[in-house]
Amino acid sequence: MRDKLRKWREENFRNSEQIVDVGEELINEHASKLGDDIWIIYEQVMIAALDCSRDDLAWSCLQELKRQFPDSHRVKRLAGMRLEALESPNPLWMSTQQAARKRKISILRAQGKSSEAIRELNEYLEQFVGDQEAWHELSELYINEHDYAKAAFCLEELMMTNPHNHLYCEQYAEVKYTQGGLENLELARKYFAQALKLNNRNMRALFGLYMSASHIAASPKVSAKVKKDNVKYAAWATSQISRAYQMAGRGKKENKCSVKAVEEMLESMQITMS
Amino acid sequence: MSLKLTTQAYCKMLLHAAKYPHCAVNGLLVAEKHKKKDSPRDSVLCVDCVPLFHGALALAPMLEVALTLKSRLIRPGNIFPVFNCPILIDAWCKENKYVIAGYYQANERIKEARPNQVAEKVAARISENFSEAAMIMWKCREPSTDCFEDWIEAQKITAALLESKSYESLVDFDNHLDDLRNDWTNPEINKSVLHLC
Repeated sequence: MRDKLRKWREENFRNSEQIVDVGEELINEHASKLGDDIWIIYEQVMIAALDCSRDDLAWSCLQELKRQFPDSHRVKRLAGMRLEALESPNPLWMSTQQAARKRKISILRAQGKSSEAIRELNEYLEQFVGDQEAWHELSELYINEHDYAKAAFCLEELMMTNPHNHLYCEQYAEVKYTQGGLENLELARKYFAQALKLNNRNMRALFGLYMSASHIAASPKVSAKVKKDNVKYAAWATSQISRAYQMAGRGKKENKCSVKAVEEMLESMQITMS
Repeated sequence: MSLKLTTQAYCKMLLHAAKYPHCAVNGLLVAEKHKKKDSPRDSVLCVDCVPLFHGALALAPMLEVALTLKSRLIRPGNIFPVFNCPILIDAWCKENKYVIAGYYQANERIKEARPNQVAEKVAARISENFSEAAMIMWKCREPSTDCFEDWIEAQKITAALLESKSYESLVDFDNHLDDLRNDWTNPEINKSVLHLC
């Protein structure tokens, strides 16, 4: 059980219900065997308990932590988190600590104050320019506000520091695609292709490649050569999608529909090319 | 013209929102194809729903993959008119004689129930093909019982499914893109709903 909690902690899973179930049992029945691990488990279980509206459990975990670490900033931050969950005024507002500032931004987001959250996050990133979680959060905020150009900028920062991460490439391509226009579509297609190069099983990148190539080929503004090339790319993407579905659909009757749909896609591509 | 939801459609919508309480979620509602094409319907009965995405709803490509492409890709004088690929959900609808009749969205913040740009665009696209299309935005309030085929049954079954944490096995289109073996038609949950009816 301890190992499960450690794995979830290390991999940052947000499976709060499971953490509460496992953690509560561990704390109530095996506390004496946990040694110093118990404090980090109290913290993990407390945060999960807040997610599941289990204030009773969150409170008891917090009390144990306060007793053991009376002056800790980390514990004060957890107390602030609990107040945030209960929608009470948060006394940590003016703290300059990194983690506390991020909590402040999360509070603003939870309150729906997107423009303030964006402003604070921009200020935060001027100081902590390497914080990838923050860049990603900012890109999400911009996407929700439909400010795709700025979202793209954030993802560019992430791609620069993580050139092998196919997910950032693919998300960047999605943002460019959403922005629209021929130039952005071509950029989108290139980044979908890059994401596929980094991970050839990324289905979103495959579909994205198909969609962007198809749109470019269908545009009246492109030359015959560009059209021809994009038809080829789209056809390739379709065959890869078809193959992926064939492999996934083996032995499963329910996937028959999806496989059939993709086969139709492939047929229509072949008609186009001939 | 009123909208009604079957227990199955309502349950799956709710399970989708319950699976991702920290995200915005959206999806499509399907109705059975009307036999008499010329006469308008008195009410639209949404028999099922297709959970689409969770998290960042405002990105276009995957949403387009989920819906049909027809209207966007056909241009006058275009020598490639055959990109009318019936992508996935549309193909499933054709096979089951369904039509996409509506769209639902639950925002990240439960108090914010206004439809955003995405919701309006999707609803507009759906209503191009189905004039009586509906949009459902989730609010934290008791819904009006008129829009349910059987409200008491819907409540009872939803409570049972939430209790048994069935939402953990709900598959949306995002899950399907993560692993193609995940079935977005959710046959197991459909069976559970039928079993509890």
